[in-house]
Amino acid sequence: MSENILIEGPVSQAVILNGLDGFNQYPDAGGISIFIGKVRNDVVSGKYVQAIEYSAYEALVIKEAEKIFSSVKEEFPEVKLIKVFHSVGIVNAGEISMAAIVAAIHRDQAMQACKKIVELVKVKLPIWKKEIYTDLTYMWKRDNLA
Amino acid sequence: MEIKVFFFGILGDIAKTGFKHYRNITSFHDLEHRIEDDYPEFVHYTYRIAVNNEITDEKPDLKDGDQVALMPPFSGG
Repeated sequence: MSENILIEGPVSQAVILNGLDGFNQYPDAGGISIFIGKVRNDVVSGKYVQAIEYSAYEALVIKEAEKIFSSVKEEFPEVKLIKVFHSVGIVNAGEISMAAIVAAIHRDQAMQACKKIVELVKVKLPIWKKEIYTDLTYMWKRDNLA
Repeated sequence: MEIKVFFFGILGDIAKTGFKHYRNITSFHDLEHRIEDDYPEFVHYTYRIAVNNEITDEKPDLKDGDQVALMPPFSGG
């Protein structure tokens, strides 16, 4: 389930739409919740963010994602399917860097589980980001607690 | 023993490489000292350890051929 999490470059709309295909096989899932995260064109100390470069420890991402999915399914037993896509490499401001899709029997668990997945991805998956500014300087972000 | 050490995030920037082989390592403690000797700047950063793709919060017992990853705080999303 988690082998295709990492996507080189921005997560395209096609990847997200293709990701939705697998959800047809769960007719008992009445709610699908989708989170899409984009790179913001933040201003940091007077510098504009042009892009974020993501790097990851791929083998561990797959392993830790399986743990996340299992724990979320345990907490939200109505969840039928989870998919997560996350960028590695350069993602420009305005482009999508992450998508999480969760199907559950009812919408409440789909939305709660989707929120939980996003929070866990940010703190549990070995992924790092470097903000690249328009003047081509950069800074490693250290904002998530591992 | 020989240990392959991976440097992620800002640690890779400092090391100017994604990995390095350390030979004649006697223990994790020994490995830590060798890494600190090579990259004194690492002491200013916090990082977690993974051995053979398993995160550990303990000082691991290493064996020949192990792969050790040094991982600064995650920042995905």
